[in-house]
Amino acid sequence: MSGSSGFLDELEVDALTELVNIGVSRAASSLRQMVQRQVFLSVPSIEVISRRDAATLMAEREIGPLVAVRQEFTGAFAGRALLIFPEANSLALVRAVTGDELSEAEAADLEDEALAETGNVVLNNCLATMANMLQRPLEMSLPGVMRDPGPALFEIDAGEDDGVVLFLYINFAVTERDIRGYIAILMDLPSLDALKTLVGEFIQRVLGQGAAAEA
Amino acid sequence: MSTSAQTSSTLAGATGAWAWDFATGQVQGDARFAALMGLDVAEAAAGLAAERFFQRVLHEDRMRLRIAIAAVGHGAEVFARDFRVAAPDGVRWLSARGRAEHTPDTPIRFTGVLIDISEQKRTEERLRVAQSAGGVGTFEYVEGFGTASVSDQFCRLLGLHPADALPVRTINGLVHPHDPPLISAYTSEVDAPIEAELRIRRADTGAERWLALRGERRPSGDGVGVSFVGAIYDITAAKAAEAKLREMAATLEQRVEARTQERDRLWNNSRDLFAVLNPAGVYQAVNPAWSALLGLSEDEVVGRHFSEFVHPDDLMGAEDHWTERAVLADRDARMRSKEHGWRWFNWTVIPAGNDFYATGRDVNERKQLEDQLRQSQKMEAVGQLTGGLAHDFNNMLTGVLGGLDMVRRRIGQGRVAEAERFIDAAVSSAERAAALTHRLLAFSRRQTLDPQAVNVNQLISSMADMLRRTLGERVDLAVVLQPDLWTALIDANQLESALLNLAINARDAMPDGGKLTLETSNIHLDRPLAAGSDQLPPGDYLMVGVSDTGTGMPEHVIARAFDPFFTTKPLGQGTGLGLSMVYGFAHQSGGHVSIYSAPGLGTTVKLYLPRHLADTPAAQVSNRGEAPGGAGETVLVVEDEPAVRAVIVELLNELGYQTLEVADTDSALKILHSSRQIDLLISDVGLPGLNGRQLADVARQSRPDLPVLFITGYAAGAARRSEFLAPGMEMISKPFAVDALALKIRAMIGS
Repeated sequence: MSGSSGFLDELEVDALTELVNIGVSRAASSLRQMVQRQVFLSVPSIEVISRRDAATLMAEREIGPLVAVRQEFTGAFAGRALLIFPEANSLALVRAVTGDELSEAEAADLEDEALAETGNVVLNNCLATMANMLQRPLEMSLPGVMRDPGPALFEIDAGEDDGVVLFLYINFAVTERDIRGYIAILMDLPSLDALKTLVGEFIQRVLGQGAAAEA
Repeated sequence: MSTSAQTSSTLAGATGAWAWDFATGQVQGDARFAALMGLDVAEAAAGLAAERFFQRVLHEDRMRLRIAIAAVGHGAEVFARDFRVAAPDGVRWLSARGRAEHTPDTPIRFTGVLIDISEQKRTEERLRVAQSAGGVGTFEYVEGFGTASVSDQFCRLLGLHPADALPVRTINGLVHPHDPPLISAYTSEVDAPIEAELRIRRADTGAERWLALRGERRPSGDGVGVSFVGAIYDITAAKAAEAKLREMAATLEQRVEARTQERDRLWNNSRDLFAVLNPAGVYQAVNPAWSALLGLSEDEVVGRHFSEFVHPDDLMGAEDHWTERAVLADRDARMRSKEHGWRWFNWTVIPAGNDFYATGRDVNERKQLEDQLRQSQKMEAVGQLTGGLAHDFNNMLTGVLGGLDMVRRRIGQGRVAEAERFIDAAVSSAERAAALTHRLLAFSRRQTLDPQAVNVNQLISSMADMLRRTLGERVDLAVVLQPDLWTALIDANQLESALLNLAINARDAMPDGGKLTLETSNIHLDRPLAAGSDQLPPGDYLMVGVSDTGTGMPEHVIARAFDPFFTTKPLGQGTGLGLSMVYGFAHQSGGHVSIYSAPGLGTTVKLYLPRHLADTPAAQVSNRGEAPGGAGETVLVVEDEPAVRAVIVELLNELGYQTLEVADTDSALKILHSSRQIDLLISDVGLPGLNGRQLADVARQSRPDLPVLFITGYAAGAARRSEFLAPGMEMISKPFAVDALALKIRAMIGS
């Protein structure tokens, strides 16, 4: 990914991409079980950009209001994981994960709760998998639902330092349901340095000493 | 070409299949996989160590490939990696795509395909350059998905950050609400071409741009669903040009509208008559001036022929004009006004397309002024005439009175023989006075003409000797006569007189001698001959030309040549009535006269005389002879002028006729109603009460065969003899020679 040059080399980006790929695959697998439908994933995309650009990037890709389920994580690296989807998809997602057993009114009542739980399953799976791959523990906060968060999605407030973040996102779409969304992970730069080290270790581990020496 | 190269090219683009076994660390592949990777086919089919596979990959790509595959081993589902291998003809780009199925922790199955994308890479590069250079963005959208794959240029066209995929809603959200969504189901047909034009608002600048879209729906690559593949490009400039063009067209209409309104105002407000006529001469449209000037509403005029509104006298030639579609300009014609008779208009008629466009300017006032001017000119002329006439007449009366006075003296002195000379002088003076009155009458067109069929060539021939004597030795006379010249309908005596006048003028214009040419020819006029303010109607004419080689006349002299009393001759050498008499004669005869002259170039006068269409004339009979006497026949003489009556009665008595004389019609009627024998009625035309013609009619009621001889000074109603006289009636003009009267009377009583 061109945006990450200078922070991570090509191989590191590849590795991080695969790391997320592994995590999201696990998350998709759990989502697949929840909705009983095929879930398509895109190849992950990674960019190192400012928070403001990240917000723009997300806003560009959606016209209507968004709903996000977020979980903060701390540990060897810290940041925020987000499951983002158009607000218009929200109920459909709720109905999908509850197996269409709920009426519309019931689904509406349970919406935030169901969304939080869905987000928790997906994000937890993803982050836990990644932590597992990096062999580092991660502390996860409780999931929170944000409706139409706008810039707040990426914590852009007036006066706050508009630092550079690592922005990973993956499109997903659920067949036979008009459901699609993104999984995004933001990491602060101090974490990024830690991540760089962890990724290097990850490469060594997955390729084995011999293969890693080739690089 | 080598066998391996052939194999290589055969396999180019073909799909190889492979399966990865994490448990054994081996890769299995089919023949195509082996060929693409440069591996032994049998070895690949049996399964080879993963390391053998990695060794085939170029070093630069090997690590990345290892990581991607390791990720699958650790739980990643999606595998996609492009990499290069060495090939006999250079580097080959391969694309591996695969999918893994996992138990929660270990892959149970990992299979995929391998494709040679060398050509695709090159094509992609070319396409990228082309898209960038041509500003063409491409997209592929698999129906049912929320995102579409897009090219960088696609993103740039929409003002978005370059990305590989964009949500459909993001794309369509930029499209103008009134235009179709960029990505939508344009058609349900597969392989049908899709074309659209739409406006977008750029995400970065907010500027509105026009995009054109070309695409088609076709089965998607993996055989599931339908994909919509297309390209977009910016057509804002073309749209702007189009809009500008449209605006120009629109403003053109406005301009035309404005012009039309101006023209309408002109049409509606003009004081001139405007009209559009169809080829038949029927009014198609008329402007409101018709109502204002003529009191005619549009309904009363449109649909009717122009001849219904134009004075018949002014229609002359208009029909011809019409059929020839010529431009008619500056033509005065009277138009019928609804309540106030006729009004004069000066017309211009222009043919355009099938129609005619006519404008008529009101010249009634001008015409009235012209009439007034003409009248005042006439009065001026009358004044001149009266003065000149008085002068001439006084001279002549002096001759007559002086002569008679001398006669009386000589008789009183008993010197009778010497009286003869003075009698001749008095008669000569009186004859000159008679000639003058004839000229005056000719000029005033009140002369009594006796138009007859005349052979003009014969007449000219008979005049030749007399003309030669008149012209003198220094002037040559040439006579050029057209053979088969038509017969003219004119008064022969007047023509003689006119020619004589013209010959004398010509002679006087050639003081040093020269040549006078008399010529005749037949002239057919197809169209009216415009001649000053007059027009000669179309028809057959005889032209008699009198040309001299004299001094000629400047234009201002020509202009006045026909004016009475206008003369260039020294005082006392001419009355100035010659040419005006010729003019009067020509016009009264239904002909025309025109002058062509320039100083030093001589003068030609052309007389146009109407053709007589009946038989050629009988030879003119000379009426010269001895005064015949009567045989006691009774003649009733009606004449209110005692002197004239006395002369007539005296003459009749001397000739041997019985006479009854009365001074008025009442007395005459008493005698006519009586049973007295009357063999001839001689009557003045101008009588108090009944005129001579009316008296004759009354007389004829009781005496149907009574011959009647009219004597006339001049009579308004008797200008053309033949129209005035019934059979058995004759006319003689005052003053008359006694012999002429005697001959007339004898001829009438004798017949």
